This record gives sequence, structure tokens and C-alpha cells, in this order.
Amino acid sequence: MAPFRTQHQTNRNAAGGPSLPMMPPIIHSSEGPVMAKADTIDHGVTEAPYERGFSPYDFNGGTTLAIAGPDYAVVAADTRLSSGYEILSRNVSKLHALTDGCVLGSAGCKTDVDQLRSVLDIKQKIYHHNHRKQMSTPSVAQMLGNTLYYKRFFPYYAFNVLGGVDAEGKGAVYSYDAIGSFERTGYSATGSGQAYIIPLLDNVIGHKNRADENRDLPAEEVVEIVKDAFVTAGERDIYTGDAVEIMVITKDGIQTTTFDLKRD
Amino acid sequence: MSILEYNGAAMIAMAGKDCVGIAADRRLGIQAQTVSTDFTKVFKMNDTIHVGLGGLATDVQTLHNILKFRMGLYELREEREMTPQVFSHLLSTLLYEKRFGPYFVEPIVAGLDAKTNKPFLSSMDLIGAPVQTKDFVVSGTCTGNLYGMCETLYKPDLEPDALFETLAQALLASVDRDALSGWGGVVHIITKDGVTTRELKGRQD
Repeated sequence: MAPFRTQHQTNRNAAGGPSLPMMPPIIHSSEGPVMAKADTIDHGVTEAPYERGFSPYDFNGGTTLAIAGPDYAVVAADTRLSSGYEILSRNVSKLHALTDGCVLGSAGCKTDVDQLRSVLDIKQKIYHHNHRKQMSTPSVAQMLGNTLYYKRFFPYYAFNVLGGVDAEGKGAVYSYDAIGSFERTGYSATGSGQAYIIPLLDNVIGHKNRADENRDLPAEEVVEIVKDAFVTAGERDIYTGDAVEIMVITKDGIQTTTFDLKRD
Repeated sequence: MSILEYNGAAMIAMAGKDCVGIAADRRLGIQAQTVSTDFTKVFKMNDTIHVGLGGLATDVQTLHNILKFRMGLYELREEREMTPQVFSHLLSTLLYEKRFGPYFVEPIVAGLDAKTNKPFLSSMDLIGAPVQTKDFVVSGTCTGNLYGMCETLYKPDLEPDALFETLAQALLASVDRDALSGWGGVVHIITKDGVTTRELKGRQD
């Protein structure tokens, strides 16, 4: 059995004069298990740490989209939850109604999304208690932006899209990045399938590069466009599929429908 | 920064009823700086074959010259025109010969079989792995956008005029969301009667 320490260490050099301070011995794994120094409380962790490159984030996939109309907003998201190449569930909702007039769709890291929702729900409850009325959609939009920026240096890994009706009853959609930059837009898509969907929305909803007459689309037609968009994203994006949950928000409330997608 | 994203490109080839279409943008850039707004990336190899070369511009032009040369040699020896399938296979072999020092180009091939008028579409990666499809192929710096548009707008057996509209809308909507491609477009529709080429005017940014 080879001895642990092959060198005799001392603070004196060969000539008897002072030398460098005692360095900790280099312990090689071939010499056996790591032994903590007797004079320190150490569980071997500092000398042989075994988990390197820990990431606090996981990507659980999914795509969300929101479209604003003259008197409605449509918010939709797929219902697949995945991690790596595995599907964890085919039936998890990414949509959350924060008030009667707005719905938040979030894709990204599920735990961050859930925590963000809890925080927003609590703040919304406090607002309702203090002001004796529900938050309006632009106020919710601002609150979400502020909440995200609050964690500017350890962000919520959540890609959000907020859809609802504003105080006048007109459709409102707000797009966000992970650290709270937001803007009111006519339509938005986020998540793993956003690249497949956004150009389509530019063309069909934004009427870009088109020569035909621009007309306001009724909610039913927009829902059909949303279904087409998710069928496309489901084909080309591995993280999108199983089913789409579509919510149509008007001043009269929120209606939810589910549409099945390919489960591959 | 990937070498395949140095110059910027976007191209689609799509099959219709006894016709094929191939479209590409016109931008040549050096990373963020736009250098040319009329750079050709789609080349006519013969009456029935067009090839779109997207990627590093120097390799686009070199590969075009090499392909012209090889087609010429083939025609001299075989005394007949090359078919799209043979051309695609030639391109695949050419690229694989440079397996460990590749041409940074991801080509798409669009052709029409001379006798049956059936469309032929293929695309490959930079080392020549080929894929043949019946509907459409895409290549460039905004493939996500292109796949989304094509998947939604494509219908089988489109007539040449409808195919042109589909290609034009799919290309323009996709490049408008990509900083490295755009500055106009060009669409070629190939039928047994010839090739119709149209330029697209889109956002000039």
C-alpha cells in the first residue's frame, strides 16, 4: 500500500532557512479516497467537488402566441411539457388568466413560470384589496415588466406574452423579453416555435408585403389562423405539439377551446 | 458568429403542378454591413436545372464555376444534358470530397425531369448529405422563418402563377425578420415551356 504523502513537508528548506508556507498536498485519485485534513471541518467537498457546471435553468419548451383584434384578443399556447428529448406531459397549460380581462402565456423554465405567476397573483390580490377593483390590462403589463426587471441579475427564465382587452374594450397584446423589456404590439409569439410563426403573423395579421385590401379579421377567422400556425410549429419544432389551448378574451369574459395536434 | 452566417442568404425551392420555382434574396453583406443589393445566388445550370447556393459568398461563386465546368465535361463525354438527379448527386459528391475542409455552402437544387415534367427538389448540408422532398426545400440564415412560412402556405399541385405568389410571400415575410437577408428577391419559375424570372421589391433594409 503506497503511503499517502510521498514527500516530507516542512517549513524549512534544505539549507535550514525559511521557505514558502506549507502547501496542501496534492492528492491523486489513484491513491485512494480523499481524506479531509484533521484540523478543519471539511467534508471533502472543497477538495473534490463533483458537480461542475450546474445550471439553475432547464428549458421545458413550448410556444405561445397572442393576437389583438378590434374588440378581442386571442392568446394560445401548446400543452406539451418537455425536458431534453423527453416529453414530461402532454397536457400542461401555459396560459393563466390574471384578471377577467387578461391572460398571460409563458414558455421557458416551468418552475420560473410558476413562481412568476404566484408573484403576479399575489400582487394582483393586494392591488384588488387596496383599490377595490381589478387591475386593468395596461397596469398588469407594467407590473409584469417591473416584476421581471426586479430579478434583472438572476432572471426568471420565462418568455411571456400578455393578451387582453384594455379599458376601452379594444384588444391589447404585450410582448416581453426575459428581463422585463416590453412593448404593446398587434401580435406576438414566443417560445421554441416563434421563428416559425412570427413571419406568418407579419404576413397575415400585419398585412405586410401584401397588395390585397387590408380588412379587420373577426375572432373566428383569427382562431383558424392560430390553429394553422400551431400545426406548422408542431411539424417543424420538436418541443411543440400534443394540443393547443386557445383563449379568446372579450369585454364579456374569456372563452377557452382546445385543439389537438400531432403527438410525435 | 458562424461562417455560414458571414454573408447572409435566404432561399426556397418549391414544387408545383409540372413546374418548380426557386427564389432567393439579393443581399450580400459582410456581417452587419451590406455590400451589394444585387448578388446572384441562384444559377441556371441548364434548361431544366437551377441551383441555389447559400452561404459564404466566395464559395458560392467558386462552386458555381466548378459546377459549370463539371457539367460541361459531362455534356462533352455523354453527348446529352444532365438530369436533375445526376446533378444533385454530383454536387453531393463534390462537397463530400472536401469533408475535412468543406465549402461553406448549403445548396438547394430545383429541376424538372425533361421527359415526365415531374418536379425534382433536393437540398444538402455543407458536406453533401442530400435530402429529396416532394414539397419544398429551404436554405440560408433564416431557415426557421422559411420553414414556418412554407409549411403554412404550401399546397400541392399549384399552377405556375400561384406558385410564384406563394414563393414570393414566403420569402419576403421570412427575410423581413432576418437582419442578414433581404434587400429584394428574385423568383424563377421553371416549366417545360421555359423559365420565367421576376424580381421582388421588398423592404430595403
